[in-house]
Amino acid sequence: MKPYEWMTTYTPQQEWIEKRGIFMPLAFYFGSLGGGLYLVSLYFDSLLGMFIAWLIVGGLKGGSHLIDLGRPFRSWRMVFRPQSSWISRGLILVILFLGLVPVQLFFSYFFPGTIWESIFKVLAGLAALGTCAYPGFTLNYVNAIPLWNSAVLPILFIACGFLGGIALLLVAGVLGGNVDLTMIEFGSLVLLIITVMLIIVYTWCASHAGPSGGKALKEILKGRSSPIFWLGVVLVGIIMPFTFIALGYNGMHVSKLLLLSGALGEIICGLSLTYAILRSGAYSPLIPLSPDKL
Amino acid sequence: MARWGMVINLNRCIGCYACMLACKQEHFLPPDIFWGRVLIGESGKYPAVTKQIYPVLCNHCAEAACVDACPTGATSKREDGIVIIDYDKCVGCRYCMMACPYQQRSFYTNGKKEYFPKQGLTELEVIGKQLYPFQEGTVVKCNFCVERIDASLKRGLKPGIDREATPACVIACPSKARYFGDLEDPTSEVSRLISEKKAFQLHPEFGTNPSVYYITR
Repeated sequence: MKPYEWMTTYTPQQEWIEKRGIFMPLAFYFGSLGGGLYLVSLYFDSLLGMFIAWLIVGGLKGGSHLIDLGRPFRSWRMVFRPQSSWISRGLILVILFLGLVPVQLFFSYFFPGTIWESIFKVLAGLAALGTCAYPGFTLNYVNAIPLWNSAVLPILFIACGFLGGIALLLVAGVLGGNVDLTMIEFGSLVLLIITVMLIIVYTWCASHAGPSGGKALKEILKGRSSPIFWLGVVLVGIIMPFTFIALGYNGMHVSKLLLLSGALGEIICGLSLTYAILRSGAYSPLIPLSPDKL
Repeated sequence: MARWGMVINLNRCIGCYACMLACKQEHFLPPDIFWGRVLIGESGKYPAVTKQIYPVLCNHCAEAACVDACPTGATSKREDGIVIIDYDKCVGCRYCMMACPYQQRSFYTNGKKEYFPKQGLTELEVIGKQLYPFQEGTVVKCNFCVERIDASLKRGLKPGIDREATPACVIACPSKARYFGDLEDPTSEVSRLISEKKAFQLHPEFGTNPSVYYITR
């Protein structure tokens, strides 16, 4: 973009994608991944999965956010405005998640089957769901970027989180972990289908979100973000894992390497989608456009 | 209580960038940081082309999206409508920059960048860093020259009427395209211009209710 084009044409956002801003899509995805993995691990009763989810949220997500901040040592101030700021609400949910999960793991390991284990599972599960969903709400709040201002976005982030979470459990299962591989494969397939449907709905909504939304969607489908979308999301993230996992689920022999590739593809799907959405977000011009600039 | 606002006459604006430079000088803004800008665009097709010159700045919106977005409370709205940033609280998350539909905020990252590289800071830059010690890693933006307004109100001067109480960009304009005053006062020049000249705001569909209006007559 030339300097004279700034805000006289559709102007892509840059602060959350370029330079240190590259850590924002990573932080958002790691949060969804960690929350999704925790919830999936709750379902499959995998303590290891819950612990890894805690590490992902605390280490990868937290670390990414701190690297992105201009003044990370002031980050403690970010909890003070939950009444209006989604970043405040998200940070509170993440802190709750990081605090509740160790307590829940303690009860699950030393006192399984007690009422306290159930209580902390519910509380940590709710915090995990919030951790998964709040990036979508954070972006959804920005009505200046029609591509992000969609009610489907939080649900899409939750779906990507669940997809990545079940992919990690699939990795654990393939490598000999104590999880029901058949059920995980089935869950993967279902989540892949749900994710595809949500992506279709999201893109359809974006195409009807005015000229800015349409322009941003073109960026994803045909523009700068199209390689990420078509390769990362569609080919590697959906088609490849669906093929490998469906073959494995249907009893055909699929090598561990292919199954692991499928699982990795599911993780790449969510990450690529998050990156493509953040990269393609654009602002409407401040002055009326001439038609050839549309 | 006053609510400070601005009216910009697009027919009078000649695109000289004096407002942009006056702001830079007034606040000793670092390199690459602009609190006001002049956008130049075209509309129409040959032979019916219109050149448009839009001076833009922070709109100090009544329903500012940036104020709600800020997780630390660094961005706040004063009673007089001016949206300010407390640089000591800003954590540099740039969520306010995402939320602003007008993109009138800047992220200050390179405190060591000089206007004349490898030649050290000029005396003006040294004075500027003492008077306006911007903090690296924080977001900065136009503040309607709030220091001038506050200092002058104590002396009984009137913003928009007395030069010392009026933002630098308004005073600098050679074609008197900018007006500043109290939007809550129906007798002020800005209120009169808004009602008589059918002033419009930028992107009213975002619901921010900007305090900067534009007129074309």
